[in-house]
Amino acid sequence: MTTPAAIKAALRGDNALPLRPINQVMDLERLGAIHQSRLSFMRTLVRRIMRERWQIEPARFELDDQGYGTVIYEIKTPNKLYNFVLFSDYLSPDERNDRVIATKWDLTMALVDGEVDDIYLEKLRQNVPKQEAGRVDARVFVLSRANRSARNFDYVVDQLANGKQPDVAQIAKVGYLYRTTAVYGSGKLGMADWEKVASRHADFARPFAAEMFVCLMLRNFSLLQAEHIAQHKAPETYNPMQPEIKRFFGIGNSTGLGMAPYLINHPLLINQWVEMRELALARVRVLGNINNRIQQQFPELLERCAAHTAQTVTEDEWQTGNNQQVLKDLDAIREHTQNGFDSWEDLLQWSEDNCSLQGQEMLVSVMLELYPELVDDLEDYHSAEEFLDLDPVMPLQQLKQVIEDRYQWALTFDFGAEGAKDTFWYRSEEKMEPRLGDARDEDGKEKEMALGVAYAVRRCYDQLSEYMAEHPEHSTARFMVAQPKLRGIVRRIQSMNRCIYGDIQANLLDREILPMHLLRAKLAFFGVGKFDPRSKLWVRNTMFQGAPLLEDIGKTFNDDWFMPLAPNQTPAQEGEY
Amino acid sequence: MHVSMIELKAALRRCFEATGYFVGNYEDAANMILWLEKHGLNGLAELQRALPFIGEDSAKPLSTVVYEDSTSAIIDSNGRSALNCIAASVDLAHAKALENGIATVTVHNCHNRMFILKALTDCGRRGISVAAYWQNGSQTVTEHTAAIKAGERYPSYSEATTTLSSNEEDKQALTIICSSRVDLTSSLQRSKGNRNASYISAKQVELNKEHSVDNGIDIDEELWARINKIGEGVLVENSDRSRQGAGGR
Repeated sequence: MTTPAAIKAALRGDNALPLRPINQVMDLERLGAIHQSRLSFMRTLVRRIMRERWQIEPARFELDDQGYGTVIYEIKTPNKLYNFVLFSDYLSPDERNDRVIATKWDLTMALVDGEVDDIYLEKLRQNVPKQEAGRVDARVFVLSRANRSARNFDYVVDQLANGKQPDVAQIAKVGYLYRTTAVYGSGKLGMADWEKVASRHADFARPFAAEMFVCLMLRNFSLLQAEHIAQHKAPETYNPMQPEIKRFFGIGNSTGLGMAPYLINHPLLINQWVEMRELALARVRVLGNINNRIQQQFPELLERCAAHTAQTVTEDEWQTGNNQQVLKDLDAIREHTQNGFDSWEDLLQWSEDNCSLQGQEMLVSVMLELYPELVDDLEDYHSAEEFLDLDPVMPLQQLKQVIEDRYQWALTFDFGAEGAKDTFWYRSEEKMEPRLGDARDEDGKEKEMALGVAYAVRRCYDQLSEYMAEHPEHSTARFMVAQPKLRGIVRRIQSMNRCIYGDIQANLLDREILPMHLLRAKLAFFGVGKFDPRSKLWVRNTMFQGAPLLEDIGKTFNDDWFMPLAPNQTPAQEGEY
Repeated sequence: MHVSMIELKAALRRCFEATGYFVGNYEDAANMILWLEKHGLNGLAELQRALPFIGEDSAKPLSTVVYEDSTSAIIDSNGRSALNCIAASVDLAHAKALENGIATVTVHNCHNRMFILKALTDCGRRGISVAAYWQNGSQTVTEHTAAIKAGERYPSYSEATTTLSSNEEDKQALTIICSSRVDLTSSLQRSKGNRNASYISAKQVELNKEHSVDNGIDIDEELWARINKIGEGVLVENSDRSRQGAGGR
């Protein structure tokens, strides 16, 4: 068990561990290359559920033969009682739309604090299926919706109804029955604020834990529902799905641009996540003993990562290229270490010289996977108090120095160059959906969101230099009275200077910016897999593939669902019994 | 209607961003209003009074430092709302207090001074004690004071109706005392003809917050609609081209 003091001492000062350099870690392309790890939020949530043996049972199961109706799961944790409420409604194929702007879904659901009686259920029924058009109260703390992967769902139901198992090869292509298209928490639509969740619901007091839990519950419900429909369709021939195949079903997710502004608007939180991942890596580099167990497990994990990557299906050329490169990198690492190795430090350095960013970051995830005893206790330190405070007493000379030291990367961009400011991020009047515009031929730049941190730093630096020519002795506070327009960026600079890693290093206004890196970074912290970009602006992925099932709670648990693989299936298993 | 705190904050941010507040200022403004409401000090009622005028500040000069020495300053806010200028004044007092132990900043021509409480609380959280005092009203003069100790999370607040006559000098003025050495507390004296005096302790402010955290915020539907209507100013018109910018197919 670690402590805040131990973490602080490991990050700073004489006894600090060797952390990777800021400019290396915070480079957007590298952040966009990271993979799931044992610190990812899905992993930490499942560890908690399994270790604490949460009791999760359907308390109300009112589905018709077609799978439409209402289901309520009751969740008893060591601390509290919650209810997870699902509404399953008919949706015609032409109404099925994964975009934020959709208004109807196959499934809608809510996670609720405490008991749900008939009156409250009715209130939920009036609002939850409407999603953004509805309102809930502060007892609800996650609201979500999902659409069927129609082809997969019908196929699985038919197979089970006919007494067969789904073909694993097909599931490897699309590893889910439902895709969730939005998971809302933290106070949206009248729900409990994060402040309430963090202070009142200890079970979900880690970032996005409640949101991840809803996705896990959705995954389990999707399997239950498919079996329910199949059973009613052909009770005589129906066979339930085998558990190992069930575990290979995750939940699909479509993530679009909305996630990108979050990373820029929560820099202290993102820094915290990065700090914990890097601290875990530093612990392994220094303290990770390479014994026989590790010498055996390491190539096995490399093999698993390669198989997982090879099983990842995407039509996207860029992602396909990345995956192929990762396979080559994994081969190269395997070859380099096949006669044994004795230093993580050396291997990491070797990977930086010989592997792609994605390959390097895959190695990092594997290293973390091998040392739960060095890594897992950092899972409780992923929250941050998000105060971007101004340091009013800081002399301007020091402020200038901070910019030159910590934001050199921003000062190196030439904002006068062609394309350097062509992209603007804005909110559409259509459901306030975040979108990207091209300033050369689209209207709306004057309403852009303030996500151009690098450009704001540049302007701040220039105006600060000008001001200092006249008032070199002034404090930041005095500068702020004279230049209130710079208040936002100055306090960001000062606050991020207090962090180890600081801001994500990229010019988000550049014509060539790839928002995919931002989406990918956040999704990797969540713990998703099977990235399948559908454009440079949105990506499909799979959550909780390989995770334990509800019926596994209370049984032995080895926390070994990293980079899950398709289960082996013999033709007989697929066929009729 | 019922809204969460983050919803109110987001709507207020859009509202002030659309009004032309700068980056940094629109977050401050939203936080100041939310802070008062969340802590049971009627931030939304204060906003109702401020709302008709918030668009006017963009035409007014920025705050100017009229006088300054090592332990004091006088700032003219040129008739601006505290929502967009008072945080900088508190920061200046904060900086001077850190350098010299104690400092006084007097702000003139500043409206909606009640919103100082959030800025004042930020100072307390960061280890600086602050007290503020101001009078308000033309016909009937009310007086107000708030203070927070170093390292605390919640301030105390007092207000009373006085028999004082309105004084042009005091109108829209505010005095901030800040110290890194002395814990300042403040409460209004009972004499001087004060009526309807009320004192809200730091503990009560904390309890008010706990209630808001548990239940969210109740807001008048009309005010909510108005805030959101103004906030629509940051939204860009929808078009087929625009839809492509969301990555959809």
